[in-house]
Amino acid sequence: MEEKRESEPKESEKIRIGVYVCHCGLNIAGYVDCEQVAKFAETLPHVFLAKDNRYTCSDQGQELIKNDIKEHKLNRVVVASCSPRLHEPTFRKACEEAGLNKYLFEMANIREQCSWVHLHDRKAATEKAKDLVKIAVAKAALLQPAEEIEMPIIRKALVIGGGVAGIQAALDLADTGYKVYLVEKEPSIGGRMAQIDKTFPTMDCSICILGPQMSDVGHHPNIELLTNSEVVDVKGYIGNFHAKVLKKPRYVTSDCTACDECIEVCPVIAPNEFDVGLAIRHAIYTPFAQAVPSTYIIDMDICLNKEGIIVCDKCIKACERQAIDFEMKPETIELEVGTVIVATGADVFDPSSLPNYGYGKYPNVITSLEFERLINAGGPSGGHLIRPSDMQIPKRVAFIQCVGSRSEKSGRLYCSNVCCMNTIKDSLLIEEHWPETEIYVFYVDIRAYGKGFEGLYNRARKERVLFIRGLPAQIVEDRKTHNLWLIGENTLQKELYKVNVDMVILSIGLEPRKDSEVIQRLLTLSRTQDGFFMEAHPKLRPVDAATGGIFFAGCAEAPKDIKDSVTQASAAAARAGILMAKGKVTVEAITPVFDAEKCKACGLCVKVCPYNAITLNEELKRIEIIEAACSGCGTCAAECPFGALTQNHFTDGQIFAQIDAVTERDAEKKIVAFCCNWCAYAGADFAGVNRMQYPPSVRIIRTMCSGRIAPKFIERAFARGAAIVLVAGCHPGDCHYIDANYHTQKRVERLWKKMEQDGLNKERLQLLWTSAAEGERFASKIREMQAIAEKVTPEEIENAKKVFEKALGGV
Amino acid sequence: MPVRIWRKPLDIEKVKRSKAEIHIIKNQCKGCGFCIQFCPKNVLEESEEITERGVHPPRVVDESECVLCGFCTAVCPDFAIFVVEKQCTEGC
Repeated sequence: MEEKRESEPKESEKIRIGVYVCHCGLNIAGYVDCEQVAKFAETLPHVFLAKDNRYTCSDQGQELIKNDIKEHKLNRVVVASCSPRLHEPTFRKACEEAGLNKYLFEMANIREQCSWVHLHDRKAATEKAKDLVKIAVAKAALLQPAEEIEMPIIRKALVIGGGVAGIQAALDLADTGYKVYLVEKEPSIGGRMAQIDKTFPTMDCSICILGPQMSDVGHHPNIELLTNSEVVDVKGYIGNFHAKVLKKPRYVTSDCTACDECIEVCPVIAPNEFDVGLAIRHAIYTPFAQAVPSTYIIDMDICLNKEGIIVCDKCIKACERQAIDFEMKPETIELEVGTVIVATGADVFDPSSLPNYGYGKYPNVITSLEFERLINAGGPSGGHLIRPSDMQIPKRVAFIQCVGSRSEKSGRLYCSNVCCMNTIKDSLLIEEHWPETEIYVFYVDIRAYGKGFEGLYNRARKERVLFIRGLPAQIVEDRKTHNLWLIGENTLQKELYKVNVDMVILSIGLEPRKDSEVIQRLLTLSRTQDGFFMEAHPKLRPVDAATGGIFFAGCAEAPKDIKDSVTQASAAAARAGILMAKGKVTVEAITPVFDAEKCKACGLCVKVCPYNAITLNEELKRIEIIEAACSGCGTCAAECPFGALTQNHFTDGQIFAQIDAVTERDAEKKIVAFCCNWCAYAGADFAGVNRMQYPPSVRIIRTMCSGRIAPKFIERAFARGAAIVLVAGCHPGDCHYIDANYHTQKRVERLWKKMEQDGLNKERLQLLWTSAAEGERFASKIREMQAIAEKVTPEEIENAKKVFEKALGGV
Repeated sequence: MPVRIWRKPLDIEKVKRSKAEIHIIKNQCKGCGFCIQFCPKNVLEESEEITERGVHPPRVVDESECVLCGFCTAVCPDFAIFVVEKQCTEGC
């Protein structure tokens, strides 16, 4: 097909583009004159027809495209609507159904990157929309059909985290018939739910409903449970992940019958983490009675036996089954899986950072998690709610809400979702056991939004639980009695209160796991500003990660209660199951195209490929590309100094055409932005979704990775008179293609140097690292660049044109 | 489960901890220092006293820290140290 293009096109090969401008209700049409944009599109070269309609993604909209393809023999389609990250698959499918190869479709993003970010300037937004359509049409004219290759999917799943979400996801997948590896960092699965006494709103016993699930995981023939283990490395891609799991030694073999004999003789004690330090454990221990696996574990940090010297052999002597083995070594287990479910859960907020509540100083100020252990019959006080200072049952108790949630002071701006209902449940538990107790709840808003929640809230109010709006400003302790004075303002009655209680329970919020960064890096995920993992789409793909084959379940994605965690876990299992049931995945046809005649076998591409997908054949003096290993970042194409490599669907010619379209008119007023698909382009979309306004002078050209952005593209933009150029990609270390963006940095730095040497203002080339969640970072960068662009003089533009004019050469 | 732990566990008093009585036979000691070096709870230290054999015998720093592992007895080449469990009379 490549050769044919060179010669004179036949009638049947003439390019006939159909352009569809979507109103998206008023989302676009409210701020952009769509009719005018469509009229303008008709005037563009190769455009056969252009139409505007209300909802192009609707059935009617898609039918219209399909009919036009058949009726008018369209061989390219451009839709100007939302982000390709949202509806490109929809329209590609429509094209395919009409017999048009899906790689002959192109999108112009006039919603997230135009109408939503220029709400107050209809004229400028319309002009920009026209330009964006022009850019898309320019690329569309050069699009080539492509076939995707199919890759097999390994029918095994890795679930990271053994809380209730991980347990549910593992069971669902295992019951479907897939092999599951469940990796848990702690000695037992169960997570936070195992620590909790009762669950809201039904008040059923937490461990009684979780225990059987845990034991099912332990016995399931399809589940391999790896506790006391951590994922240390993940390589590969959707369908073919290669994970390394570090299994730390327990020093107790599975012969252990959990008989307790060893515990009785162990001379060392430490606070038990499972009981939030309210009870002791020994160096050899089991975190709680229902632990799965039930095999005990030795905590080597406190055991007397260190570095292989057996100082104390009491447990060895006590164990009849001879299950203790101090020779155990850490193991690295290598797993091949097709899908990954991230169910790493959440941490709890540490309230000692709020000195006005005195946590960590006043013994009778406890957290809601400590409360759960105290009220639990299996806990350190045998289910008696006692206050720590004198072990007496308190007569007056206060709950304080939103500790570490919804406040600037704690640095946690989000609502933790579970604390309101948890407090209501806890207050009813106290009421049930000790009906005489006076209970106060100090709150900001009570959020009882779920099924059965309002009923429970009303019950608590009827049971004489006193709800007071307005959090205490300060807690003061009576040094003699260790009672506590709560001082604050009742904001409903507009009066100050001073309440004396025996014990205070801080309703602490949830926060992202401290080690989220590790998982983020291993799986190349994104996180929101709150620090929780970010889903691929908040509405339509709420359990998918942006990285293919990876799904979220439970609090790793955002704070949620047990029911929502379980729901999400089943959803994640279903999503992973869909992939594995298909058994194969198609790989986007965005692999490199190689021209053997131009190749000098220099090997530069081999060095930059993050996936080792290119090898140098020394004998034949040429390179070889392993398509199956290629992920399509395009870094090799940007690196090749001889133009022997380009990338399918992101060819040099197509990108040059886009640059030329941007700079055709008023180049000196424009910002040419090259954005990677995963972070920078997604961040720009996020700015749009959040209606963050920025100057309309920017034109974004999307590549899969910033590593595709060859210096010649930037030079071309300057040679064509662009005022300022932006190169934007993922934060270093977060690159979707391992480390391809390091090459971006290298190339930009080289250009800066050249600009400096040639007397150009290097501020005219900007580099931005941003994440998909940092919309404001993107928007403010554009504002900053607009200020720089306005200062660029016509002489400077001319100088840059001269310096880079070589870049104007043909493709 | 990284939760900050700062309280004294509520049941710490309930734990039966055997109390140790450490016996050092100073005249038998040749001052090798093994017992001091290997004690996992650092209960022993070198004393300033000089015995008939011209060595510094070990001295007990804090008897209540001893967990009766008996390793000092096992490593002592001169049978100069042994630990017995304190017989608990009222108020011990």
